[in-house]
Amino acid sequence: MEIEGYNMPEDLYYEGNHFWVRDEGDVLVMGMDDFARKLAGEIVYVQLPEEGKMIETGKKFAKMESGKWLGKVFGPVSGELVEVNEALEENPGLINEDCYGKGWMYKIKPRDKSELEKLIHTAEDIQKWLLADIEKYAKEK
Amino acid sequence: MEAKYDFVKRYRDQILKCSKCGFCQAVCPVFGLTLRPALNARGKMLILKEVMDGQIALDDTLIETLFQCTTCANCLKNCPSDVNVPEIIRQVRKDMVGIGSCHPAFRGMQQVLQSHSNIYAEDEPEDFGRERNKKARSVYFIGCVGSHREAESTLATLRLLDRLKVDYTLIDEVCCSGVLEDVGFQTNERLARKNIELVLATGSETIITGCPYCFRTFTQNQQYAAFKENGIDVLHISQFLKRFDIEVKTDRRVTYHDPCDLGRHCGIYQEPRDTIQKIASNFVEMPRNRENALCCGAGGGVRGAFAKNSIAMARRRIQEAVDTGAEVLLTECNSCVHNLTNARLRKQHIGIYTTTAFINLLMDAG
Repeated sequence: MEIEGYNMPEDLYYEGNHFWVRDEGDVLVMGMDDFARKLAGEIVYVQLPEEGKMIETGKKFAKMESGKWLGKVFGPVSGELVEVNEALEENPGLINEDCYGKGWMYKIKPRDKSELEKLIHTAEDIQKWLLADIEKYAKEK
Repeated sequence: MEAKYDFVKRYRDQILKCSKCGFCQAVCPVFGLTLRPALNARGKMLILKEVMDGQIALDDTLIETLFQCTTCANCLKNCPSDVNVPEIIRQVRKDMVGIGSCHPAFRGMQQVLQSHSNIYAEDEPEDFGRERNKKARSVYFIGCVGSHREAESTLATLRLLDRLKVDYTLIDEVCCSGVLEDVGFQTNERLARKNIELVLATGSETIITGCPYCFRTFTQNQQYAAFKENGIDVLHISQFLKRFDIEVKTDRRVTYHDPCDLGRHCGIYQEPRDTIQKIASNFVEMPRNRENALCCGAGGGVRGAFAKNSIAMARRRIQEAVDTGAEVLLTECNSCVHNLTNARLRKQHIGIYTTTAFINLLMDAG
């Protein structure tokens, strides 16, 4: 789904700080959405914590940087970090190239998948949320 | 005929002194990474001679060349002709800004400091859970990187100062803005005055800082002359810490990275080692150490403007640390910690800390 030039697939769940979550059965895949990666600019660093780290909903578990910005990555759901995208270690720019594909960031084994329902999900909700953030960030510029 | 640019008026003879020997190439972090002659001191002097001779223009086409330098001064240290490349680059950048040619990241930095108190435009100051602006013997000045990028490291330093019962206060500090001198602009007078006022109001005799760049700015920039005029000592934390008997010990293999701003620019090499060697019996030097230390790649604004290359430079330095067999890499600069930590690969099991943060870690464990 394209919203004002931003690609926001409607089959994904979105955490409010602009990270997407894809349900792959036992595991959830997480990455940065198109709006955030365009706002951030070229990503130069992504923190890749050790597998096994416990993630809590709404709590910071990693950080990432572009040349001008430090971003915190918050847990979209509670669970265990089971895999990180090691390709980002030497090529964090994959997030800029392909944020929904090769630029995926983390895989989480959720404690309770029903937490996904608290994330932004339907086409209507995604649109409403993104339009509000587009306006908010335009004002801050 | 009057020289068109200030760099010509001030440094023409130095630029002409460059014998093109290329000794600087062996030690330049940017050349070491890119192998591009134009990004090394020798190449820059060749280019500036062409500008002086009117063969090429000083314009946007030279931004990448002339703004991609960490000003680490390793070239100067190794130059048989003593060409002061960092000073020349500083002046050239000012000349370029004067004609409207500047790297956008650096122009952005200058604009940010006109309206914000730090280079990251962060509006919320980090809360370190300590009172600010109170009367105390010393002010601890954190610096922008310590406040907004390495807050955990700063917190550890403050915990150590508390443990050592140091009478200090934080202040509502603003960016020392010394970095602007490196990237084509001037130290921000408004910010300098604010820092001076805040320090004077505490009645402190000493400013201690963990940031070598702030240390350099406070001791070398004329905008901060008021500190000396008011009899206030400025110390880097490594100079302050060496006065203490630190009781904790580690048998882990430890090495030390000399920050360029502390080492080559301020001549402080031994004080950090005095403290480290008190706590770490298994201390090992990297082959390139002290005045020959390889730059981490963060300085001179390069981390802001050329972040990918900056981190790649840091990766080369980390490898040197790993090659010593060290489990711990210590340094005295949060900017170095930040860049080196960003560059560290997962397979490189080496802890990276400022000395104070490491000491605090040992005390926590003890």
